[in-house]
Amino acid sequence: MKTEVIPHVQTNKKPKPLRTGKLGGQLLLWIFLIATALLILFPIVVTLFGSFMSNAEISTGGNILPSVWHIENYAEAWVQANFSRFTWNSLMLSGMTTIGTLIVASMAAYVVERMNFPGKALFVAIQASTMFISIGAVVIRPQYELMIKLHLHTSLWGVILILISGHAYIFFILLSFLKGISRELDEAARIDGCSNAGIFWKIILPLLRPGLGVGALFTFCGAWNEYLRPLVFTMNTPELQTLTVGLSYLRYGASAAVQTHYMLAGACLSILPLLIVYMLANKSFMQMTAGSLKG
Amino acid sequence: MNKARQMGFSYLFLFPSLLLTVVLGIYPLGWAIRYMFYDYKGYGEARFTGLYNFRRLLADTQYWDSVVNTFIYAGGKLIVTIPLCLLLAVILNQKLKGRNLLRAIYFMPTIISSAVMAVVFFIIFNSYNGVLNQYLLKFHIISERIDWLGPKNAMMTTIIIAIWGAVGNYMLLFLAGLQNIPNDVYESASLDGANKRQQFWYLTIPMLGPVLQIVIMLAIINSLKGYETIMVLTEGGPIGKTEVMYLYVYKLFFPTPSSGAVVDQQFGYGSAVGFTTAVIVGIITLVYHVLSNRMNKMQ
Repeated sequence: MKTEVIPHVQTNKKPKPLRTGKLGGQLLLWIFLIATALLILFPIVVTLFGSFMSNAEISTGGNILPSVWHIENYAEAWVQANFSRFTWNSLMLSGMTTIGTLIVASMAAYVVERMNFPGKALFVAIQASTMFISIGAVVIRPQYELMIKLHLHTSLWGVILILISGHAYIFFILLSFLKGISRELDEAARIDGCSNAGIFWKIILPLLRPGLGVGALFTFCGAWNEYLRPLVFTMNTPELQTLTVGLSYLRYGASAAVQTHYMLAGACLSILPLLIVYMLANKSFMQMTAGSLKG
Repeated sequence: MNKARQMGFSYLFLFPSLLLTVVLGIYPLGWAIRYMFYDYKGYGEARFTGLYNFRRLLADTQYWDSVVNTFIYAGGKLIVTIPLCLLLAVILNQKLKGRNLLRAIYFMPTIISSAVMAVVFFIIFNSYNGVLNQYLLKFHIISERIDWLGPKNAMMTTIIIAIWGAVGNYMLLFLAGLQNIPNDVYESASLDGANKRQQFWYLTIPMLGPVLQIVIMLAIINSLKGYETIMVLTEGGPIGKTEVMYLYVYKLFFPTPSSGAVVDQQFGYGSAVGFTTAVIVGIITLVYHVLSNRMNKMQ
């Protein structure tokens, strides 16, 4: 790596040095920080290690690490408790929702940021209002009836369309990223005879990649963790259940008491992919949240 | 460039977004606003009944109990979450070994599905063979199993779980606000002899003001709206002790035989309840907004 000669501009301000005044205070501070961290980690650790325990060991318990590692829990959950199906459905739902959301939101963000047309302010206002008005589960009913009319209620496509329709947040994220892309590039391309669609496809989308990345992360996680809509839409079609729904059914199943180890293995299947991505890119995850404050 | 062509192009590109938003976002709102004046059970004929649903709502003790429960739930969650997150943010805004690791750990619950974690928390808090009771018994902290999800403790347990899920999120929002406070303000304050505590009360809090205001507002709205965890963990039970407003709305549309109170499917009435609940949340948000603005002006 090259050594920096020119001091670069720091966007984040330098952290203030902590004055190490009293040793006792320092100790107390660390006890507090570590205790909080342990409390946060506790349920996650229980899930990870519990998923390798036998059912009896979990319920008679008191152990943190499993005495015998039952790796077969995963194989059994995968086959017998149908988690292969749930995982596939979750992947399909989240993947399609992510692709759809990015396409729909980036197209809208492009014209709102770069073009002038009557009704633009109204469109932005509608998008903003959908983020804040919530009448709860009421809306799921008319959405469900619409999907019956469109014959989409027996596939995951109905849920996917509904999740894509909630793209307002991604629209605003992409809008703020677009504002950072210089207009000179579009103008130059226009002079070279590039069409509007060509500019969007060849200039804007490649430059928008960081924004699309953050948006994809956010949408995928949201869809992967989505519970209510998949639950309602798969009430008559259990073969379409996603991980979150399948898992919650185990919780209420008649044999819930004897399936704790499957439940934990299933919970791991659901949270591990996100945790792994999170470990690799936790800065991007946090940017998303902090960014929502400014947006 | 041709203006008409630009307009045409714009509408073409806007079309997918607009279509989805109108059909799946706005039409359902209209549907609810229409049916809240109807007696409609989801089957058979819908009958116009005017304001009857709202009169019924006023007398519906089950709903008003859920409103009270929501306030207890939101209040309990916020009273712990906001100060705790502010404290963590102030600490982690300082130069501290391992602060990135700590931030990453605290934020972890935010990315995990609340439905999945509700299942895990059920395994942990389950009174008969729950993981937590086993630990507490093993280390002789308790001598008898605590009924975490029983009528007496269920609300407290759901609040604990809500706090667990929210800490990282609000800590991060506060951190973002803290990073906007210029460093030299603190330097000149400490030159003037202000100690840490004075700096916190007279510098950090006032300068964090607008951010604090927005984050608390977000926290209020979120805690009034959340019901997914409760739905999976207790279904509003036992005996309706953890029933919250939006969960009650959900049950009016998708009733399930549950450990909570049983509700009959009623789309018309459910729409009225959903609409009223949105108005209640709106009013609380507005009151908070006005009060916090007034406090700002007084300072």
